[in-house]
Amino acid sequence: MNEHHKSEDDLRKELAIVEAAKSDPGKFGVLYEKYYRVVFVFVFRRTGDEEQSGDIVANTFLKAMLALPKYTFKGVPFSAWLFRIAANEINMFFRKTNRERVVSLDKSDLGAMIAESGESDNADTQKILLKALGTLSPDEMQMIELRFFEKRAFIEIGEIIGITENNAKVRTYRILEKLKVLLTKAGGR
Amino acid sequence: MSNYKFNIDPKEPREDQIERHKDFGKVMQNYQRMTNPLYKTPLYRYRKLFLIVFLVLFVAWLVAEFGENENEKKNSPVDSAQQLKKDSVKPIKDSNFNKQNPQLKSGK
Repeated sequence: MNEHHKSEDDLRKELAIVEAAKSDPGKFGVLYEKYYRVVFVFVFRRTGDEEQSGDIVANTFLKAMLALPKYTFKGVPFSAWLFRIAANEINMFFRKTNRERVVSLDKSDLGAMIAESGESDNADTQKILLKALGTLSPDEMQMIELRFFEKRAFIEIGEIIGITENNAKVRTYRILEKLKVLLTKAGGR
Repeated sequence: MSNYKFNIDPKEPREDQIERHKDFGKVMQNYQRMTNPLYKTPLYRYRKLFLIVFLVLFVAWLVAEFGENENEKKNSPVDSAQQLKKDSVKPIKDSNFNKQNPQLKSGK
């Protein structure tokens, strides 16, 4: 179980707060306090800019408040729904500004991906993997970020992207296969 | 060429950086502005706007009221009759007028 997983009891308590906030928007403050930090970090990892992150997070919470009456519980933490709105806001920001997208990752994450593809982890392979990652589309990259760099469950990834859990699994493994081919080609094997 | 800028082992934003942008009051204010547009909000909630609207209406009322009085004065029937009298009955000072019209002199 990682930081993104929650117990049934936690989810039920959270749902009660969400339902209360639907009829009294002032109660949304509890969710704002609870999730501000994680949403900010989520956005900051994708923009690398503090000011832009602040604006995007403010828009995310505003849109969440406006859309709250339409929220339906799908068995995942409320944060997944917030991340979905944040991801849309980030995409909109990059479309408007034409800026270069930022991908934050740890070296250990690269190592884990290389191990999964069956290659040996060394500086060269890491370079090749980064090059291969650079060729992915924004949607594919989002999937890799959520699964390998943020270690989220497939059910949560599905909720964030707006697809089913199974579809999230299939898509992730297709992207991994694509990366494997690119790694093998670049390695000359 | 890479489509992305990779940040390897990035530093997480500091707590003070995050706290600096945290402002639920502002979000709530924007929410209320978007859900309760100006035309739906009672005017007395905005003191300045209420005062400006009140002054504009008051000035408009004053202009309308005084404008009406002026028009009434100009268009009153007594005034116009007097003006008509003044304009139409003027004494004829021409000495040849009576010679040319003797019947007027004799009263026939």
